[in-house]
Amino acid sequence: MLNSIIQSLRARTDLKEWSVRHLTTRGAQLYAVPAAVEAKRAVDGERYSINVLQHHSAEDGSITCGSGNATLLPGDDIDRAIDAAALIAGLVHNPVYTFPAPADLPEVPVADASFQANPSATLDELYTCLKQAVARHPQVRMTAAEVAGEEVTTHLLNSRGIDAIQVATQIDIEWVLIGRSGEQEVESFVELTRRRAADIDVAGEVDRRARYTVDLLAATTPPMYEGPIVLREATLAGFINSGDFTQGGPFQMLTSGSAKFSKITTWEIGQSVFRREVTGDPLTMWANRRLPYGTHANRFDEEGLPAQRIELIKNNQLLRFTASQRYADYLSLSPTGAFGDIEVVAGHIPAAELLAEPHIEIVSFSWFNPSPVTGDFASEIRLGYLVDGGRRTPFRGGMLVGNVFDALANVRWSSETGFYGDYLGPTTARFGQLKVAGADASA
Amino acid sequence: MPELQLPPAMSALRSELGAMVEGVESHASYGAVLLSAQQGLQIQIDDREERVIESPPSAGTVATAFDGVTLHERAIGGFDRSAVERGARDLVQGLTLADRVSIDPGPDRRGDFSTPISVLSTAEKLDRCRDLQQRLRGRDARIVNARVRYLDATEYAVFRNRSADLAQSVQRLYLIVMVMVAGPDGVRYDVATKHATGDWDALVFSDDELQQLTDNAIALTRAERIEPGEYTIITAPGVTGTICHESFGHGVETDMFLKERARAAHYIDRVVGAPLVSIYDDPSLPDGFGFYFFDDEGLLARPTQIVENGVFRRGITDLYSAMALGLPRSANGRRQDYSRKAYARMSNTFFASGTTPLADLFAQVESGVYLEKWSSGMEDPQGWGIQVTCHFGHEIKHGKVTSRMFAPIGITGYVPDVLQTVSAVGNDFAHDAGSCGKGHKELLSVGSGGPHLLLKARLG
Repeated sequence: MLNSIIQSLRARTDLKEWSVRHLTTRGAQLYAVPAAVEAKRAVDGERYSINVLQHHSAEDGSITCGSGNATLLPGDDIDRAIDAAALIAGLVHNPVYTFPAPADLPEVPVADASFQANPSATLDELYTCLKQAVARHPQVRMTAAEVAGEEVTTHLLNSRGIDAIQVATQIDIEWVLIGRSGEQEVESFVELTRRRAADIDVAGEVDRRARYTVDLLAATTPPMYEGPIVLREATLAGFINSGDFTQGGPFQMLTSGSAKFSKITTWEIGQSVFRREVTGDPLTMWANRRLPYGTHANRFDEEGLPAQRIELIKNNQLLRFTASQRYADYLSLSPTGAFGDIEVVAGHIPAAELLAEPHIEIVSFSWFNPSPVTGDFASEIRLGYLVDGGRRTPFRGGMLVGNVFDALANVRWSSETGFYGDYLGPTTARFGQLKVAGADASA
Repeated sequence: MPELQLPPAMSALRSELGAMVEGVESHASYGAVLLSAQQGLQIQIDDREERVIESPPSAGTVATAFDGVTLHERAIGGFDRSAVERGARDLVQGLTLADRVSIDPGPDRRGDFSTPISVLSTAEKLDRCRDLQQRLRGRDARIVNARVRYLDATEYAVFRNRSADLAQSVQRLYLIVMVMVAGPDGVRYDVATKHATGDWDALVFSDDELQQLTDNAIALTRAERIEPGEYTIITAPGVTGTICHESFGHGVETDMFLKERARAAHYIDRVVGAPLVSIYDDPSLPDGFGFYFFDDEGLLARPTQIVENGVFRRGITDLYSAMALGLPRSANGRRQDYSRKAYARMSNTFFASGTTPLADLFAQVESGVYLEKWSSGMEDPQGWGIQVTCHFGHEIKHGKVTSRMFAPIGITGYVPDVLQTVSAVGNDFAHDAGSCGKGHKELLSVGSGGPHLLLKARLG
């Protein structure tokens, strides 16, 4: 069917450019509840996604560009779909842009060979590991688990000559640990996404979460607090690489060419990304689609732009914007393609030193979701610790209140680094001054 | 009711489903087949560019077989008869019946249903969006961009088990307007939305509404962060609905009961809020963004009263958790699409109206905050913590809203504590459209709403 689609697209004289992506997916899913496997699923899918560009002459004689798209399932009418895409393109008038030309594509490892060989067996093995790890912690019970994996094969061709294939896998695992003391019951909910099963440290994560669950049983009310805050590991990764369901977080938004073109970002190349004086370690950050097994890494993005490792911010200054081919053309930038994963340069201080002075450590939020436009946040704390020397006093509730950029203008990064799926960077950050809105406040 | 028009491939396969269910049930204690398709259109116009995009469609078949313990499912992309028949055969191959529990297929029910389907062409929709964007842009020199975004989505479903043969199409329309303004600390924005099922008339913005949006965006450039603490608050209907959604919406999805993740499971027929608190979930709510005729497990839509005068009565169910827990079912078994499993999910969740006029609510507040617009929320069914983030709120002094604005504002606290403080309930009612996840995945269209409320909560 792919060849027929390409032949039909090539035969069209009304299209300036076209691309087609053939996507095939196969996956497996396992859902467990106490004492039973609730559901087992096998999932297949196949579709063809077509994008076309047309040029139009405007009334003033200038040329405008229209884009349209359509998706076909196997057996669908090809010409009707292309007509639909062309019809949409005919309605739309934008500045002219192009589709990417062929370029060398890097080899970026993003597929789990064991999952590809036997999807359901890989998931069964993960689930078994999970049950065994939890069994080592009699203080907690696992009451739910979900393990899902998917292999996606993408074959992309366009009118400029791109003809590229990539195969990627993604494995999602989540589970619930329940702790009980008398009438009190608490939970820890864990969700992880990785490209391959080997990057999921099930035993280590269960150990950590079992400890948190037990600590939740002894958690106090949150304090009113303003001072040093520590975030570590996956919690820190979530702070840096946060986002909501439909868009990325503040860094993805404010460094994007589309936001620059639509004037949502006021950031300028060569200027500091911070609105206040930087009193902590400088920020240096990459947008990285070449991160091996990064959850947003790939050989090429939806348009066919090759994976790159883009130095976005160096010593607090914006070096460049990320841009699809469209916004690269509009803003006269080099196209970078999709954002990818975040990489942050490490600091020079060992984590142990950052943890030595009194502080609050937050290990779990309900949902850390700052405004992608402003960076402001007010996020409920599921579990935090007041740390003073060797003493760690758990608390739950209250909110961490602040602004991502103001927080990062006063931070110390650890020298140790870690990989958390979509983030490679320091394992520990000590923010100099943040606010916890605790329970004892009244206004 | 408009006549149902299914996609041709779906319609063609429908007549084969009875035989497929019989085939599955020759090896399993319960079988069902769901055909599911979603398609839609997105239009975005701003000062710099315009886009018209066909939303990524989804179309596939789910064959389900229950072996007495586990629901086995084969999800096949598309509606090709031979592929679906092969999938159904593969599904039951090697299935061993445990025969521990049986699933009731429900009473006999047949029917074809459809919401109104917009008859506007893509060009007409685009023109309306362009007209609206023209009315929005240039209202103030500080506006750096003005954006109109339109989405429509049509969901088609056919459900078949041994008792049910149901088909529906549901079209949802959603229009978002956004004004972006440059301020000393960067860009600030405000957003307003309207929604409908199939009828564009409900999407019309008045000039006053567009001016209010612009004024809000400009005011947000001067907004302050609120001093953390407990406040007397009045919640606008959207905020009220989000509190409902995150507390006695997610918190009473009975798959969470089964997973021991819901504290509400221990509170059936117990007091969880002030006597003024009544909460419903209703997929049959006319014009609700979470409207449907039947759920993805073939149960016809009807309302569920979750909280009655401050007392928690019952949760909302999917098939498996209702069966496992011995609960009466509600029509809340929903899937993101054919590739995902069904969970207990909300439809339109709302706080019932009271009797207090809005002016009387404000008159009761000497000092407080009016939370006008929500932006996000997250559930905590086990801890009953609440996180609702508001895009902005206004100071109230002596019963009047002042020019002082706070943004963003987080609401936090323990759900029953917050609901116990509800001291007056407005006699108004409005509901918003939203997208709801189960945690961070499984996105679905939902509605939430209610009246204005007067209560106390911790803000930050």
